[in-house]
Amino acid sequence: MDIQAASVIAAALAIGLAAIGPGIGQGNASGQAVAGIARQPEAEGKIRGTLLLTLAFMESLTIYGLVVALVLLFANPFV
Amino acid sequence: MFDFDATLPLMAVQFLLLTALLNAVFYKPLMKVLDEREDFLRSGDTGSKDKLAKAESIVKEYEKQIAEARRESQNSIQKAQAEAKEITATNIAAAQQEVQSQREAATQEIEQQKATAFATLEQQVDSLSRQILEKILDPELIK
Amino acid sequence: MEILGALTFLNTYTLAELEVGEHFLWKIGNFTVHGQVFLNSWIVIGLLVIASLAATRNLQKIPSGIQNFMEFVLEFIRDLVRNQIGEKEYRDWVPFIGTLFLFIFVSNWSGALVPWKLIELPSGELAAPTNDINTTVALALLTSLAYFYAGLKKKGLSYFKHYIEPTPVLLPIAILEDFTKPLSLSFRLFGNILADELVVAVLVLLVPLFIPLPVMALGLFTSAIQALVFATLAGAYIHEALEDHHD
Repeated sequence: MDIQAASVIAAALAIGLAAIGPGIGQGNASGQAVAGIARQPEAEGKIRGTLLLTLAFMESLTIYGLVVALVLLFANPFV
Repeated sequence: MFDFDATLPLMAVQFLLLTALLNAVFYKPLMKVLDEREDFLRSGDTGSKDKLAKAESIVKEYEKQIAEARRESQNSIQKAQAEAKEITATNIAAAQQEVQSQREAATQEIEQQKATAFATLEQQVDSLSRQILEKILDPELIK
Repeated sequence: MEILGALTFLNTYTLAELEVGEHFLWKIGNFTVHGQVFLNSWIVIGLLVIASLAATRNLQKIPSGIQNFMEFVLEFIRDLVRNQIGEKEYRDWVPFIGTLFLFIFVSNWSGALVPWKLIELPSGELAAPTNDINTTVALALLTSLAYFYAGLKKKGLSYFKHYIEPTPVLLPIAILEDFTKPLSLSFRLFGNILADELVVAVLVLLVPLFIPLPVMALGLFTSAIQALVFATLAGAYIHEALEDHHD
């Protein structure tokens, strides 16, 4: 396997694997947020704001994977 | 993609300049305006609180006056009612007395008439019995 | 293969093309700079300064129009900074964090809203300034410097004590944190903005009409959230540096 084929596969794996953890985490956080809103509907605004912020933090983990994938595809130091 | 060059420091310097510029034309003046407005609102707040307290005291005063007036009116109504009752009572008593006196006078008159009637009756009875006697017996016997 | 050929044929007529890592290079002495980044950042800066000047030109006690809007923006920023840093020290940091937020926000939205492709450059294309790793790293390094400055100014050299508190065992991790903070800040912003533009570009490549619109809307949303996240994290780091560990 030459380095280009390896890079393409690695890029796909990087983004795919990096999506797993944040996916689970975001699901957990959203579920808890919905439970919180159901228990305390008057706190909805605050919960939503915090939820969006934390979702963005989790999202950035996938983005790191994406950055690595992009590096492998467009700026590969080994090719 | 990851090609660092002179863009990085120049961008940093540019950003710091932007911060300084915005601080001069945006943050400082607007923060001042916001603080001033907050102060103004707070002072307005205390002023309005004073006014509210004054208004409340005035309302209390008025309520007191109203209560007093109500009590007075109640008193006068009671007095008037009492007077009216007294007047009716005296009137009724006077009327009753008059009625009583009239009745007494009437009964007295009746009594008098009765007595005179009895007296005349007795006289008549006497004369009648004398006549009966005279007719039945001898007039000499009677003498 | 024929489908792919048709796609590339179609692509010569569409507006979008995937361009990663191409720049409009300027040479200043021995250095090269990315011209398209500076051009666009000047537009953003001009926009911000013009809006500020328009808002503060005729200040009134009862705001209206642009002054009202900019006051709303300032109150939003002030609340954000106050929530992070606390009532006592937030005032000094409103300009820095506020400018971070405004610059990143306007940059992101300018990249997502304006069809820069219509302006031809000799090479590369105009895009959000935050689409370039140099910009985000510059902002992240400034944030690092800011929190070092905050800590050193408040506590002097005893600021460095927090590396060995509560135990010196955590010293490597504490030092590592100083590197991962700017790294994650810059990569988060850069990756999000680049990912937005790439996703939109790929979708436009496949279906040029209407289908990319929801993704563009999502891009606007994430751009705004990323600006908020960057500013919030900068505030949190500065607060961490200002915090007293001794109480």
